[in-house]
This record gives sequence, structure tokens and C-alpha cells, in this order.
Amino acid sequence: MQNFIQISLVSLQIGAVYILFSLGLTLIFGVMKIINFAHGQVFTLSAIIVAVMLPMLTGWGWSPPVAFAASAVVALLSSVSLGFVMFQYGFRFYQRNLVGSFILSLGFVLLLEGIYLDVFGGQVRSIPPLITGTVDVFGAPMTTQRLVLCVAAIVFTLILYFALAKTRTGKALRAASIDHEAAMLQGIPYERIALQGFLIAALLAGVAGILIAPTSAVTTTIGTDYLLKGFIAVIIGGLGSVPGAIVGSLFVAFIEGFGGFYFDPSGASIAVFVLVMVVLVVRPKGLMGNV
Amino acid sequence: MSNRRKFLLPLAIVAVLLIAMFPTGPYAASLISWMAIGALMASSMRFVLLFGELNFAVAAFVGIGAYTAGMATTEYQIVFPLAILLAGLAAAFVSFFFGFITLKVKGPYFKLIGFAFAEVVRICYSQSDTLGGNSGIIGVFPPLALDPWMTFFVVSFAVVILLGLYAVERSDFGKLLLAIKENDDVVRTVGINVHWIKILCFVLASFVAGLAGSLQAFVNNVISPADFGFMLSVFALAYLKVGGEDSPLGPVAGSIVLVGLGSIALTFGAGEHIFYGAAIALAVLFFPKGMIGFAKDTVGKWRDRGATNTTAVAATQKGEA
Repeated sequence: MQNFIQISLVSLQIGAVYILFSLGLTLIFGVMKIINFAHGQVFTLSAIIVAVMLPMLTGWGWSPPVAFAASAVVALLSSVSLGFVMFQYGFRFYQRNLVGSFILSLGFVLLLEGIYLDVFGGQVRSIPPLITGTVDVFGAPMTTQRLVLCVAAIVFTLILYFALAKTRTGKALRAASIDHEAAMLQGIPYERIALQGFLIAALLAGVAGILIAPTSAVTTTIGTDYLLKGFIAVIIGGLGSVPGAIVGSLFVAFIEGFGGFYFDPSGASIAVFVLVMVVLVVRPKGLMGNV
Repeated sequence: MSNRRKFLLPLAIVAVLLIAMFPTGPYAASLISWMAIGALMASSMRFVLLFGELNFAVAAFVGIGAYTAGMATTEYQIVFPLAILLAGLAAAFVSFFFGFITLKVKGPYFKLIGFAFAEVVRICYSQSDTLGGNSGIIGVFPPLALDPWMTFFVVSFAVVILLGLYAVERSDFGKLLLAIKENDDVVRTVGINVHWIKILCFVLASFVAGLAGSLQAFVNNVISPADFGFMLSVFALAYLKVGGEDSPLGPVAGSIVLVGLGSIALTFGAGEHIFYGAAIALAVLFFPKGMIGFAKDTVGKWRDRGATNTTAVAATQKGEA
């Protein structure tokens, strides 16, 4: 039982990060009908900025929470700026062009990965824990830091979910992703919505990067692993579907968590892949897809 | 036009083979072989693109081919030609099952599942102790007698395969693939099983990818899981895109140029990734039809201007070949 709760909580934390990540992918696909492989690089940028800045700032004598907050702000600003650059000088010209945009995003992946390697170097960075101590959750010990990150990720996911459901921009985004022509007929400025959707997605990837940096070893290629999981999550849930991305991410995280504990991590990755194949056989458009 | 092409094509092939016979050093020899292997991988990808799907699983089939050839040679001492054939067959066998399930989905789903498959297969190699885990297989040597002729063999083998793919593309089967790309519902209405046609095309392309993988194993002598991640698919796509996907010569031209320039970029110390990334992004943004498409357009413009200077046209065509 103790194991069960512990694994569930860890899976929930990882799952929440996957949700933030795959929501970005599904938003971009929904609104612009493109697949952005470079989404992982936005996430990497944010994670690596936190991993580089935090030890530097604490080295200057800043207190850890302040240093974390400062590096998080820088990381978010950088990811959104990167998103803006990619949209403005690339994807803007390739909306609704699946193959062209896909190839362009691969170009961005290689370019950014090379630049990160040049700038940050290839070493693995891990941050010392910000918050020490453990707490008991239903009798299962859990590091406080992990619990805080878990709560933070869930809170961000909920905020986003309600923002998409209730706010004007959220409604416009969802309208454009269901049928962009009908949305334009209703007076929704598609071009602006596409940019907003892309920037929100970059912001989400940035948040996911910040939340993952304290708990895992950060390298310049960390984005690729999450990209794979994020894509599997959106295939399972259905491209362009927000609830689908959430369900798919939790699916992947829990299979990984429990499979990794009872079998081994790579066995869990293969199990996740088999699950995707099964979903594709039964429902070719994902569990909640309509594209 | 067609007369000149009939004359130019064998000439180009003979020229390439002559170059392949006399490489100036071991590095040049490997480089020429890598160009030929890259051309095979990119052509395999282009072949699936004939019916309109981007096959991102190509890295997985190249890897399966390389590992099959590696195991066959080092563990079971199977003779060289049989090892190459087995590599192709193994890739084709796996691709049949993968294709049977995934070719029911189209567009973004197919791309993403291919990407996932390439990564999962890579994880499988690195976890398997029989396949050498993370360090892979070493000592995959071609027969000693063939060693001085290896580059020549690889290039001529690639030329034969590429001509074979071209013949299939020009056949009725190839026209069927184009019809599926244009509108698969129309093809279905005349009673053709689109799903099986796609599988057949996919299996054939994967067979070629497997052969390319076995050649890579024999040329490099060492294979490891890291060689066959999804980045390999990205490189194949780069060759295809930079060369131009409309012509069968596109992947060949792209592979020659990018592998060649890539080796120069390495000597500058510039990152290989930055180089390939910039090449893809620039090619897509400025030359959407690739080098071959660009060359054809340029030649077309000259004709329109009424230039009767045929020697200049022939010169550019020779250049593009």
C-alpha cells in the first residue's frame, strides 16, 4: 500500500509535467494544424536555464527560494521569446502545412540542440534539493520538494484548463482549433489567435521545464525524452483534444511509474508503445480525437 | 530531352563508379560509401512519400538491417551476400507488422508513431545483452578479398537498388501509389485494396532501408544503438528535402552534398547538428523544391527566354546529375 501511494504520487507529478508539455503540443496542433518537434527544445531551454542559474545565484549568496524564483522568471521569459522567434520567422509561413512545418521544426530541433551543446556544454547538471525533509502522505514517505512540485504542476494544469474553458482567449483558441474558418466568420482574428496559442504553448513548456529541473538530471537533450512521451500522450488522447492530452499524459505516466517499479524502466517504455499501437488499432484517431 | 537523358544517365553512373573505384584514402572511401548509404535511406523515405506519407520509422528499419547483418556475421558466420539479404528481409518482415497496424492511420498520426517506433526499437537494442547493449556490436567486417573493393561494391550496389526503385516507380504500381496520394477514395472505388498497396510499398521501402543498414554495418565495422535513433530519420529527411523530393535523383544529390559538406563542417569544429538544422530550415524556407527542383526551374527559365545555347543547358544538367 505504501509503495502504491508513493508510486501514484510520483506518477502524478511526472504526469502533471507531461500534461503541461502535451497540452502545448495539442494546442499548437489544434490551432495551426502543425506538429512542432521543436517544442522539446523550448522545454530544454527553460530546464537548463534553471539548472545553470540556480547554482550560480546561490553561489552569490542569494537564498534558494529567491534564486529559484529569479531563474524561473528568466527561464519563462526565454522560452516565450524562443517561441515568438520560432513563430515569427518560421511557423507563421507554414500554418496548415503539415509536412513543411514538420520539416522546418526538425531543422529548429537540430539547430537549437547544436546551439545548446555549444553554449551550455554536454555535462549532466543536477540541482541540490531546494526544500529538504520528507512528509508522510497517507503513511507513505515523500520528499517535501516532490510534493510541492506535484501540487504546483497540478495547480498549473487546473489554471490552464479553466482558462481554456472560461476566458475569451481560451474560448477563441478552442473555437479556432475545432474549425478555424467558422471561427473567423464569428470574428475571431485567426492570425492573432495562432500567435497567442503558440506563445501559450511555449509558456507551458517553460513551466514544465522549471518543474522538472529540480527533480531530474538536466542535459541539453532532455527535451527529446519528454517529446516522445508528449507525442505518445497526444496520440493516445487524440491530436488537438485538450481532455485527450490530459488523459493520455496520465496514462503514460502511470504505466511508466508502475511498470518501472515492478518491471524495469525500458520495459515500461515498450509497454507504453504497445499501448499506443492497441489504441491505434481500436480507435485510429485517439481516444478523444476528432481530427 | 529524353534522348539526352538516356545518354546522360549511364554516363553519370559510369563516372560515379569510376570515382568510387579510386578513392584517394580511407577517409574518402568511407565518405563515398556514406553518401551512397545516405542516398539509399533517403530514397527509401521518398518511396513511402510516393503515396503521401512521411516514414519516420526508417531509422528503425536501417537499424534492424544493421543489427541483423552484424549478428549474422559476428555470431553465426553467415556469408557476406546472405547477411546483406537477411538484413533486408528482417527489416521487411518487421515493417510488415508495423505497417499493417499503422498504415490504417494517416498524416500526423503516422509520422508520430514512426518517430515513437524508431525510439522504442533503439531502446530495445540498448537493453538486449545478446545485441551488445549500449556498446553495440564490433568487428562487422566484409570478406577480406572484398576489402579493397568495398567502396566500389557499396556504390554499385546502391546504384542497382536505386535503379530498381526507379523502375518500380515508373511501373503501374508506381502510378497506383501516386493515385493513392492524390485521392485514395477514388482508388478504393475502382476496387483496389488501398491498405495492402500501401503495405506492399512500405515493405519494399523498408527492405531497401534494411539493405542500407547492412551496408552501414559493413562499412563502419561497428554499430551501436546511438547510431539508429530518430536523428537518423531526420538526416534522411534532410537529404531528401535539400535534394528535392520530386525527382528520384533528389535524395542522391542531397546525400552527396550534405554528407560532403557535413564532413567539411566537422573539420571546422562547427557542430554537425547546427549545420544540418540550418541546412533543413534554409532549404525549406528558400528552396521548397530542393536542389533538383531549383535546377529544373532555372533551366526552364532559360528555355523560356528563348536561349538556344544548348551547351549551357547540357552543362547545368551534367552539374545537377
